[in-house]
Amino acid sequence: MTQHHPDSHSLMEFSAGNLSDPHALCIRLHLDECPHCRSRVDTLDSLGAVLMDEQPGAGVADDAFDRLMSRIDAGTPEPQPKPAPRGNPLQRLLGEDLNLLPWKRQLADVSVLDISHLFPGQPEKVVLQKLAAGGKAPAHTHRGLETTIVLQGAFTDHKGVFNQWDFVVLDEHDEHRPVALEGDDCITLSVLSAPLKLTGTFTRLLNPFIR
Amino acid sequence: MMTSTRAKTATTGDRNVSTPNPGSNRTEGRKDPWSQLLDKVGKQQDREAYRALFQHFAPQIKYYAMANGLAGQAEELVQEVFVSIWRRSCLYDWRKAAASTWIFTIARNQRIDMLRKMQRSRAEMTVDTEDLWQIPGDDENEPVTSLHRLMSERRIRDSLKHLPEEQITVIAKVYMENKSHQIVADELNIPLGTVKSRVRLALNKLKVILQDQNA
Repeated sequence: MTQHHPDSHSLMEFSAGNLSDPHALCIRLHLDECPHCRSRVDTLDSLGAVLMDEQPGAGVADDAFDRLMSRIDAGTPEPQPKPAPRGNPLQRLLGEDLNLLPWKRQLADVSVLDISHLFPGQPEKVVLQKLAAGGKAPAHTHRGLETTIVLQGAFTDHKGVFNQWDFVVLDEHDEHRPVALEGDDCITLSVLSAPLKLTGTFTRLLNPFIR
Repeated sequence: MMTSTRAKTATTGDRNVSTPNPGSNRTEGRKDPWSQLLDKVGKQQDREAYRALFQHFAPQIKYYAMANGLAGQAEELVQEVFVSIWRRSCLYDWRKAAASTWIFTIARNQRIDMLRKMQRSRAEMTVDTEDLWQIPGDDENEPVTSLHRLMSERRIRDSLKHLPEEQITVIAKVYMENKSHQIVADELNIPLGTVKSRVRLALNKLKVILQDQNA
């Protein structure tokens, strides 16, 4: 049961379609497991509809409807429901078992995997991080904004326990020392917003857990 | 980050439901005229219903495209959205979303797709837009949550009337012009914190914020 949710600003930016793909992925993974936030997003989607309706509107070309119908008559396939996709969007990208990925070990308890290349053209760094069951990460702060969702296992820090599908946003003011709970290795997905004034080469030097 | 205790019946008990309304409101609220038309398109491929939807929603979608800096592609976006509406109408379930909400989510997704195609590097994306941004009702496992979703649109319309102009301006920029809070702040020449607090106040009244739902 998730206890830590995205804030309303993030959900609103999601509903408006303003988030980058990696950020949207974090929200999507949370929504898939959190009926409460799904219901908030439903409300926000309705807000979008109402705002769209409140706008003045812009006249469309006179032949727009006819063009539309000829396009439909010209062989738009009959409407068909799509088969339900398997797993969550991340599993469809990476395979079902995240434990089997080619993790790069950085410290005794800490492994990482940079998957930024799956999101071409987007400024964020996207990394999976794995903290061995019961393992400790060194104390660290964050540079820029870091959005994290727990994919497997759980970790704890001074702010509480973060379980599977919990959502955490940390910034440069947050210093923490995460400890994975016993049982499963704790796997998280983090999206690091590129700090405004730093570019390319510098961000590559930033290590997600230790900075 | 937000920690919350959970509220199960958050919006069903809202005050608009219990406000005395003309009796017809309750039954009509279940299925507004646009949802009835969309239902007909889905079930019978009813072209007159489809035309009526087009006449109502196409200008909104065109405006949406133009407000988003897609003036050159605005007619194209209208076409793409309506082709998608036709194709998907058989999946539409009025119990899961009002037609206008459903159409908004399709317009939003088509806009995202169009921007992706325009940015070559993003066109090679491995994740489908609809994997990330779902259309209500696509997930068949999602239980029907009955009235509260359907009521939410009417409730929002009513609440919006009571919001101060400055709050509406901010949320309209986020939704219609797809601007981040930071860009809205720059444009209006106000601090980011002010934008955030206006959004917060607005969402608070619209009952999107968690704590308020517990109250």
